[in-house]
Amino acid sequence: MATLREIELRLKSVRNIEKITKSMKMIASTKLAKAQRAMVSGKEYGIANAEVFKNAPADEPAKRKLIVVISSDKGLCGGIHSSVSKATRRLINDPESGIDPSSPIMVIGDKSKAQLSRALGQNLSLSFNQIGRDIPTFADAAGVADLIIKSGVEYDSIAIVYNKFISAISYEATVVEVESEEALKESAGFKAYEMEDDVTKDLAEFSLANAIFAALVESHACEQSARRTAMDNASKNAGEMIGRLQMQYNRGRQAAITNELVDIITGASAL
Amino acid sequence: MFRQTFRQVARQSNSVVRRAYATEAATASEALKLSLALPHQTLYSESEVEQVNLPSINGDLGILANHIPIVEQLRPGLLEIISKGGETDQYFVSGGLATVQPGNKLTISAIEAFKPDQFDAQSVKDLIADAQKRAASSDEAVVAEANIELEVLEALQHVAK
Repeated sequence: MATLREIELRLKSVRNIEKITKSMKMIASTKLAKAQRAMVSGKEYGIANAEVFKNAPADEPAKRKLIVVISSDKGLCGGIHSSVSKATRRLINDPESGIDPSSPIMVIGDKSKAQLSRALGQNLSLSFNQIGRDIPTFADAAGVADLIIKSGVEYDSIAIVYNKFISAISYEATVVEVESEEALKESAGFKAYEMEDDVTKDLAEFSLANAIFAALVESHACEQSARRTAMDNASKNAGEMIGRLQMQYNRGRQAAITNELVDIITGASAL
Repeated sequence: MFRQTFRQVARQSNSVVRRAYATEAATASEALKLSLALPHQTLYSESEVEQVNLPSINGDLGILANHIPIVEQLRPGLLEIISKGGETDQYFVSGGLATVQPGNKLTISAIEAFKPDQFDAQSVKDLIADAQKRAASSDEAVVAEANIELEVLEALQHVAK
């Protein structure tokens, strides 16, 4: 194999990497605890928001959906971004859902944006970044919702693709639908509600911001848990590599010492 | 202009519907179930309460059990929750949406809700003065934001002692 010097250098670099991945794992663990607490309230908020849509479902499935994909800018978190990108591709290409294949896509997070621009580049209409560095606030969600509405893209309903938190070690890409103002007005269940002035537009916009907020918070928690798992695996792998390299190094060192001894002894016995 | 509106739908007795505005019968339990959710905190989750007073943009409403389904936008003001024991909890909300679902459930989504005693009257005055200065600016966006702040702060001033 390589010389002793090379093994030594490799050993030093793997040891450094192990330290880094271990500390990243610790950071992700503490962030996960905070993120999970925020997610509990965020989920309740999202459920309260979805009550109206439960009671007033759209009469016919939407043709032109606006897909909002939620991921983040940072990597080293396992399959978070690819799971959401795959779910989006499945959603658009699914022949049964009747969705228009040219439906616009808006992406939050640079990692998914890169993956989707390769597969569905012509559908991408808007992208957001610098969201997800810390626990998402309602202000982030409201800003995103505001830009979506201002962009003037036409849609019958909005499908939010995000990672649902199943447990501390597993997550799943899920789609949640938010109806647009027109779909709400035409829904039969919605007519049961009495309103003073027409609050339907405000209701639709507010619900969009709420749904985006709930999805952002849950995705954030999934990302932290995935990062912790990924860094945990990386630390374990690094630990194994260190063990192997250490063995190699010791054997090499002992072989060198033995060779020197043999030289000395043959030299001495030749005298 | 404030309009005190107390809408009350007659309770449904065992087999006879005396007077009903909605066509579906409220077969759910008699008490009003309140869910008050904030983005970072859930204050009430399907808790049974007696009455809820909402500050809506069209006036103040009192919601009792078996109310017809409505959607109301809230204005900055005091939200009062009267529990079954008769105690009143008050929260100042900066705005939001209140929906009575079919089935005797009241869902309130608000961004912020705080108890009145958590506010400091002096800070409110200072913030109002600051917002009024900004309301006189020439930038439209700054003026719009400042006016929204003033709306919330002026309602808050009545509440904060």
